[in-house]
Amino acid sequence: MATAKRQQPLAKPNLKTRMRAYVRDHARVLLFSLGKLYRTPFASSFTLLMIAIALALPACLYVLLNNLQTVTHKLDNAGQISLFLHSKTPESAIEQLTNKLNDHAKVSTVRYIPADLALQEFKKLSEFDELLEGLPSNPLPPTLVVTPIDSVKKIEPLNELKNEFQTLANVEQVQLDMQWLQRLQAITDIIRRAITAVGIMLGLSVLLVVGNSIRLDIENRRAEIEVTKLIGASDRFIRRPFLYGGMWFGLLGGVLALLLVFIVLLVIKQPAQELIGLYNSDFVLKLPSFTQSISLVGSSIFLGLFGSWLAVGHRIAKIQPS
Amino acid sequence: MIELQNVTKRYPGNREALTHLDLTIEQGEMAFLTGPSGAGKSTLLKLIAAIERPTRGQVFINRKNITKIPKRKVPALRRHMGVVFQDHHLLHDRNVFDNVSLPLQIAGFAQVDINRRVRAALDKVDLLDKEQMMPITLSGGEQQRVGIARAVVHKPAILLADEPTGNLDPELSAEIMRLFSDFNQVGVTVLIASHDLELIKRMQKRIIRLRAGECIDSQKTHSAQDFEILN
Repeated sequence: MATAKRQQPLAKPNLKTRMRAYVRDHARVLLFSLGKLYRTPFASSFTLLMIAIALALPACLYVLLNNLQTVTHKLDNAGQISLFLHSKTPESAIEQLTNKLNDHAKVSTVRYIPADLALQEFKKLSEFDELLEGLPSNPLPPTLVVTPIDSVKKIEPLNELKNEFQTLANVEQVQLDMQWLQRLQAITDIIRRAITAVGIMLGLSVLLVVGNSIRLDIENRRAEIEVTKLIGASDRFIRRPFLYGGMWFGLLGGVLALLLVFIVLLVIKQPAQELIGLYNSDFVLKLPSFTQSISLVGSSIFLGLFGSWLAVGHRIAKIQPS
Repeated sequence: MIELQNVTKRYPGNREALTHLDLTIEQGEMAFLTGPSGAGKSTLLKLIAAIERPTRGQVFINRKNITKIPKRKVPALRRHMGVVFQDHHLLHDRNVFDNVSLPLQIAGFAQVDINRRVRAALDKVDLLDKEQMMPITLSGGEQQRVGIARAVVHKPAILLADEPTGNLDPELSAEIMRLFSDFNQVGVTVLIASHDLELIKRMQKRIIRLRAGECIDSQKTHSAQDFEILN
């Protein structure tokens, strides 16, 4: 038999070539894993919808809560402090007190309601005007209504301010009408915590959903993984498409979740504005900001990657050709 | 090239697949591994490809002891080999070209080299016109040739095959064997497990006969007459 030319072994590619091949492989796997979702449309859309709904629910609640908080901020008479003065306080002392309060760093405006005016207003608002006519003297005291600056409009500082006003001369009683504010704050606090808890639980479920579908994918490709290992692929090489698969689940699920949030908010925008408009005329339902949208999609990508990383774990290392 | 020293392989359940086996296959040699099922043919191939580890004894590939090779070094070892399976193990979600190019992708070759090498390998197995086809659309013989192209595309020094003609008719089987012989001609060390005695007799190469985990005969060459005696 004729002597054939001996085969020359292939030279190992140099570092630069291998680096380039590495980047190329990432790009290839990126597209390949996206194509994989496309080739299994039913299973993929199922998983994506589950992710989207699980993320859209807490996101919607969060946006609504944010809106609720801006509403409470806008209600100006929240946190007003009424200073009831001794009925015999002379006008000059009241003027002095008004100026003093106006100069106070934590005070935004001071409104003086003389005793007569208070009586007139009360008459207008109540149905006791005839009864009140019969009174020998005005039972209402002169009142100073103090609106604190915005940063003070919280329960703690308001209470401090109230105690401070209590010590002023001629002040008989200080009333802080904040019971409803306290309630509202307590309620929003509970809601915030509930949303956080729901968010964490649903985030976990996203982790499980992604992890489970990646795990199934690995099981379905067991034979393929074994072959690839026999050809000399490293675990990292084999892991890559699964991690990218999780990344795509996260990205697409996150975008879908964002879409759902916008749809839900646009649906309730009109009635919500009508309702809240009754209390506060210039209310506009705020949609999620750009940063909020990005962080929703970002955390979804993180959950997808993390979920697939958990699923891949040592599973790939355990699959060995046999 | 391939050397086994006093190798014993015992599987869980105390079944001994190989018993005190000594075997040397020289560089550039072509050998057939035969014997009844359960004789240890597959186990022997698995030890060489580091799929299994020997219970006792030592395995050397290219003078390197791979008996206790760490797991992370196994992929690099396998890149120096080509493996052909009975059921070809092609990946069905990609076309012929992508199947064959896989070993080169893994090793990180440049795309131009990949294209060149894949076409050369496909040309060698006479499938150049099928590179864009999906494996599922090919015949059994063609699929096996794709598997061979994938096993040789990175020019491995060692080519292992486990019953490569198991599912093929005699004519196709002979063709496949001729291919292996061609690779051996250019210096590749070839080891083929097969129970098709008729076929391997005709190849006139070294035949290693195993029975119950022991090497009962390992002559360098056999004439057809020897076989009559052996059988």
